[in-house]
Amino acid sequence: MSVRVERGAGPTAAGDRGIPPLVVRDVTVQFGALKALSEVSFTVEPGTIHAIIGPNGAGKSTMFNVLSGVYKATAGDVRFGDAVLTTLRPHQIAKLRVARAFQNIALSGTQTVAENLMLGRHHLTAAGFLSAGLRLPKATKEGRLHGQRVREIAEFLELGDKLETPVGVLSYGDQKRVEVARALCTEPDLLLLDEPVAGMNAEETRRMAAAVLEIRSALGISVVLVEHDMGMVMGIADRITVLDFGRRIADGTPEQVQSDPEVIRAYLGSGDDTEESSA
Amino acid sequence: MSDTATRTLGDEIVATPMAPASGRAKLLKMLVPLVAFAAMLAVPIFVEPFWTQVGFGVFAAAIGAIGLNLLVGTTGQLSLAHAFFLAVGAATYCYVSGESGGTATEVGGLGLPPVVGMLCGVALAGLAGLLFSPIAARLRGIYLGVASLGLVFIGQHLMNTLEEVTGGFNGRATPIFAVPGFSFGSSDPDLFVLGIPFGEAEREWYLGLFLLAAAWWFAHNLLRSRPGRALQTLRDSETAAAVMGVNVQAYKARVFLLSSMYAGLAGVLVALSIGAIAPESFTLEVSVLYLAMIVLGGLGSVGGAVAGAAFVSALPVIFQRYADVLPLLSQPGQGGLSAPQGARILFGLTIIAVVLFQPAGLAGLARRRPRRPARTTSVAPSTAPAQGSTP
Repeated sequence: MSVRVERGAGPTAAGDRGIPPLVVRDVTVQFGALKALSEVSFTVEPGTIHAIIGPNGAGKSTMFNVLSGVYKATAGDVRFGDAVLTTLRPHQIAKLRVARAFQNIALSGTQTVAENLMLGRHHLTAAGFLSAGLRLPKATKEGRLHGQRVREIAEFLELGDKLETPVGVLSYGDQKRVEVARALCTEPDLLLLDEPVAGMNAEETRRMAAAVLEIRSALGISVVLVEHDMGMVMGIADRITVLDFGRRIADGTPEQVQSDPEVIRAYLGSGDDTEESSA
Repeated sequence: MSDTATRTLGDEIVATPMAPASGRAKLLKMLVPLVAFAAMLAVPIFVEPFWTQVGFGVFAAAIGAIGLNLLVGTTGQLSLAHAFFLAVGAATYCYVSGESGGTATEVGGLGLPPVVGMLCGVALAGLAGLLFSPIAARLRGIYLGVASLGLVFIGQHLMNTLEEVTGGFNGRATPIFAVPGFSFGSSDPDLFVLGIPFGEAEREWYLGLFLLAAAWWFAHNLLRSRPGRALQTLRDSETAAAVMGVNVQAYKARVFLLSSMYAGLAGVLVALSIGAIAPESFTLEVSVLYLAMIVLGGLGSVGGAVAGAAFVSALPVIFQRYADVLPLLSQPGQGGLSAPQGARILFGLTIIAVVLFQPAGLAGLARRRPRRPARTTSVAPSTAPAQGSTP
């Protein structure tokens, strides 16, 4: 069942690119009376694949929304190097080379794959309304230059022959790959992948897992992964944080987490589950 | 093990030249507008002034519709204030380039060259848009529509009360447009082309045509570039745009500013086209008609906005002219269905039909041919098994 994929270069490659660790400290998110996250802490070491898992409603997506600046944390902070992400707005976080692929595909269906991917280059480019509208040489040159890199990334994710296709007509699996490719087009230091293989078949899952490993080893970047596919998570993650009802119940290597009694109880359920939920 | 590893991210850039087929399509794409433009240049030689007059009105509306479509169709921000920005452009032009005195009411004017007046009209409409843009930047969709509604009423009030600028309730005449050495009126200099006298209607046709071409070109370029992609993503998912690095508020503010500048230019041309300005030319109904143009033409499409503008602004005039031969329509003052009413009923029916059967509007009809990827030039390595076959 489990997907074994060859490990890439591993954590070593990250050091020379100067990628800082992502430090999440005591993050709490409260919506009215509901605590979606309570005092969650974990650290993503540079160049590692760090998975966040947990049952439905555990707070995984909320955590991603905090990391990318969409939600404000009620308490606690997230640091990426010197930057405190919890004080920044989403587009400022993107500038710090934190990229996110969405779980529920958030692409522009009427635009082509190439156009969607070019959006990933937004913070790396500068053409404004005037220079783009008047087609000044610097704007067209910039577009051409970045178009080449976009094509390269599209080919890496097997989208090379679909660049001119509107995203709306692509298959679900292809759209998922466009999501990941768009995030990759921002040249991230930290890549947030929200359920990249949800709804994919076994073969597609295997290929995506291979791609994620390849991204990490070729680029040496850190990857944070939210995923329900346990086979994939156990196969590629270096470290796993387990959430349940907004709390961190375990944190460790795949082997440690798999044998953790709390984790087993959260996933398989037990008699005192109701008591836990009221906490 | 992983076949994706055959192509790594560190690979040299693999040059994938444009498919030859799409190269020819590209040439065709460039040629079609050029040929169409050349044909439009020749039109005044062949048709009577009535049609060039209608055409100038269409050009004016089309510029306004392109601007509104950038805001509503491309970015997904609803605005009902378009008539207000048209009014700002029109009134500014009349005041800056008009002469003081004249009619019964005390009308003021700076008497500056019309080109200056036109630029001031665009700039002041832009300024008005800029002043409103902090609100536009923080609201989304229908909420902005409601908030912008107020501007139309402020505009109506100002049109009625700022008599020195606008001529008040009775309005004022629009100064004739001119560039140094050439007037767009009926004379000065007298002009004959192939023996045909080129009067105001013919000259304004060219003015409108060139300005529309410029407005079209700018919007077209914008949509296919970095800011255009950001705006379209803003419409489809504001969160995704923000996370990808788009400063959402700044972009909403900027597109609102741009849209109001388009409206300002359209306002100047509308004033020239009618020959006078009055409050009734810039009512809420006008805003709604502009929305009708872009819905009919196709939301987010520049060409569609122009087609929609042609349909909505030319139809009542054409009905009026041919009221005696068209069934169901009556001459003015004879009771029964008047031409504008007939046109409005037809708009209503057309909008219902478009929404039901062709949501992409007139632009969608032109795009009926399905776009398909150039499979012949696939660059996928042959070792890779067929992919994308998801359930």
